[in-house]
Amino acid sequence: MILKRKRKEEKDSKGRNYSHLLVISVLLVVFSVGFLVYGYTQRGDWFIKSIELRGGTVISVSLDKPVAISDLEKKLSEKFGSVLIQETRGFSGYGLSVEVDSSVNSTEVLNELNANGISTEKSSIETIDPGIGESFWYQAQIAVILAFVFMAVTVFVIFRTFVPSTAVILAAGCDIIETVAFMQIFGIQLSLASLAALLMLIGYSVDTDIILTTRVLRMTEKSVDERINSAMKTGITTAGTTIGALSVLYISSVSAVLSQIASVLLIGLVLDIANTWIQNAAIIKWYAVRKGI
Amino acid sequence: MLKYWRVWLLILFLSASALAIGFKYYPYGRHVVEISFVSDSSPAKGVLEQGMLISAVNGAAVDSFDDWSKATQNLSSGSVSLTVNGKDYRFSVNDTLGIDVMDIERTNLEFGLDLRGGTRIILKPSSSNVTKEDITQTIATLQTRANLYGLKEMRFFATTGVDGSNYIQIEAAGVSRDIVENLLSKQGSFEAKVLKPVDLANEKWSMQIGDRFYPVSVVGNSSIEIANQTVAENGTFSLEGIEFQYMNQTNNRLAFLAKVYTGSDIELVYSDPQHSGVRPSGNGYSFYFAVLVSEKGAQKFADVTTGIPSKVDLQTGERYLDSKIYLYLDGKLVSDLNIGSELGGKIYQTPQIQGFRADLQGATEEKLRLQTILRSGAIPTSLKIASVDIISQTLGSDFFISVLYAGMLAGLTVFAIVFVRYRRLRTALPMAGISFSEVVIILGIASTNDAIIWASVMVIGFVLIAASWWKKHEIDIFAWVAVVLVPLLGLMSWTIDLAAIGGIIAAIGTSVDHQVIIADEALMKTDERRVYTVKDKIKRAFFIIFSSASTVIAAMFPLMLVGVGLIRGFAITTIIGVLVGILVTRPAYARIIESGIKKD
Repeated sequence: MILKRKRKEEKDSKGRNYSHLLVISVLLVVFSVGFLVYGYTQRGDWFIKSIELRGGTVISVSLDKPVAISDLEKKLSEKFGSVLIQETRGFSGYGLSVEVDSSVNSTEVLNELNANGISTEKSSIETIDPGIGESFWYQAQIAVILAFVFMAVTVFVIFRTFVPSTAVILAAGCDIIETVAFMQIFGIQLSLASLAALLMLIGYSVDTDIILTTRVLRMTEKSVDERINSAMKTGITTAGTTIGALSVLYISSVSAVLSQIASVLLIGLVLDIANTWIQNAAIIKWYAVRKGI
Repeated sequence: MLKYWRVWLLILFLSASALAIGFKYYPYGRHVVEISFVSDSSPAKGVLEQGMLISAVNGAAVDSFDDWSKATQNLSSGSVSLTVNGKDYRFSVNDTLGIDVMDIERTNLEFGLDLRGGTRIILKPSSSNVTKEDITQTIATLQTRANLYGLKEMRFFATTGVDGSNYIQIEAAGVSRDIVENLLSKQGSFEAKVLKPVDLANEKWSMQIGDRFYPVSVVGNSSIEIANQTVAENGTFSLEGIEFQYMNQTNNRLAFLAKVYTGSDIELVYSDPQHSGVRPSGNGYSFYFAVLVSEKGAQKFADVTTGIPSKVDLQTGERYLDSKIYLYLDGKLVSDLNIGSELGGKIYQTPQIQGFRADLQGATEEKLRLQTILRSGAIPTSLKIASVDIISQTLGSDFFISVLYAGMLAGLTVFAIVFVRYRRLRTALPMAGISFSEVVIILGIASTNDAIIWASVMVIGFVLIAASWWKKHEIDIFAWVAVVLVPLLGLMSWTIDLAAIGGIIAAIGTSVDHQVIIADEALMKTDERRVYTVKDKIKRAFFIIFSSASTVIAAMFPLMLVGVGLIRGFAITTIIGVLVGILVTRPAYARIIESGIKKD
């Protein structure tokens, strides 16, 4: 018995040193913030917004076979100015989405697609007035800020201790910032769908942090490292199931909305592994060892 | 038996949800189509109405829209028998049967436009100082238009942007952009103007209105003076309560336009065969219909047309006034008509609106559209189309199948991961079952017309929990909350669209996570120094999952308040899914795991 307790203390003071690994998460934050700032200086906007949030027209077409996008993009942009064409792939065949300015007549674009041998029989057209887009964007910002604040308050109510609560909120904040940066790297626009995904991410991110914090603060019969390891086993499983399901959703779905939600969450969950099991783990270990919990 | 009350509660909610989704009463059998529109030209007009159920055409059963199309495509004349609401009807078809049908809904779920196809339109008032009352009035008028035009299942919502500006959102199945542009977004302000010529007589101009004369003199280059007012070309002035516009001077003639009627003068829009119709004309079709104008308006017409000379049409030999009546809708000319010479100076209450289209269908539609706009009256403001989403129905059903496949595959993947992790079917199988039942319960809560089912669930749930308590089983506060709250939530219904599916995915995602947490805590090997019961460990698991569920709800809650339509559906579905999870399904999972461990 005595031997065991001694071993526990030794483990705690030596143990795994998380502060070395902390470099990784600091680098991630610095890189992400740097990338966002760089983007801001280039574009004058922190985000790459989708047409829902800035106004415009998007025409989606379902196809039986793939088409040469670059050719088509060239032809269309000669006619309609700035055009963005994206390809989607799924169970029910191929898809194409064409983004044009809201002033462009969508029927003309459909005719032009027809003229290029693309059947527009299965199509959807979405036009958003720039004014509405702005109003959506404003509401979305409020929603994200409120969501974050409500989450933070809830976390404080749950743990009622400063350092662990702050660590959880910090991890969630880093998740969001890093995910937004990586979205830009992967060319995923900020849309209503990806915003919804970011909000879901707040929930998922806090999930793993709560497992970690609860185990470390409450499962006091084991060494801190053992507690962190047991939490990590659970946390990696939960992240694994979610990542598995989302990968399927991302690969299989022809729906742009669901693919976008899935891709944002995938990025966020991978980043969350670093933020929870390196950053938050380092902080909570330091806290637990210092407080002798 | 009652030891497993948590599981019984889950089974109760699950079966209630299945009923809420699938239970439908079919008074005329399952194999019917629903009438969505009966056109004016249909022989069944006035006999059949939308919403009635057709089960057979000429004795052959119709089960779907496709069946109906096949059965009726060659019906252009002759007699047809329809079995509608269980009764037989016989109509003699002349030209067209004029009945549109749609497949009936097989479930009580309402699917969003992105899943079943349709149009979502956002209209924005052109002027900025529009009040809430204006919007309400506008929606009422638009609703009338939609009903008159026979557009089914069109829903109108007033929405407010954060900047306080008002929008009108319309959702409908199968509405083309054309209808939005030409029917719904039209303000519908109607004006009839009569050309009033004033000719030089005895070196003087004089305008006759009724039996009074007003001298007119030309001043400067292009202005005139009348009744002490100087009016430039295209300028307006008012005389005897009639609004005039000075057009121009050609030789000895001054031309004026007098506004004789407006939309508020229209008392009736005729659609009977005596006053309206469509007929071949030249290389197309012309349509016409008369409107009945108030006496006040007709009096203005009489006053203005007094004294207008008449002339003979050289082709037809008929005598007309040397004038015309122009009918405008939203400032656009829709018809210009000759005025028979016998009408000059008379009270004329039934002007006719005319138009021409290249094909019969176009003419019929245009006629109905104009009649509808005039009947419903003008809306307080003109509307601009701010956004239009059109999703074709075929794309819609593809979406649905894709989503189903993806959901099934995702479920299998999760099951595989969980099974590999625990290598215990006793842990993995219930997890799959619980997650699936959560989807069913969320859908059950979202379905419509389920008040009776959920009311019974509340009673049965109460009896179940009370009986378990009587038998001295441990009941916690959450059980009581569950039997009250979940049936109450069940009364809600919302549309299952992509956003809601996103919400279901989010809820199931947290559900699996939480079940992993429960399983991990329960199966954890404990230090021999302290003895934990499985119950204690599950309690710790529940601390974690309650915490995480509250953060999810806290994060989603503001979206419910500020969110735009799309995100709101997502937030509501997620919150309800998480609530059902922590109150019903996850406790049941814990109970199953607990008994599984005890058996080992």
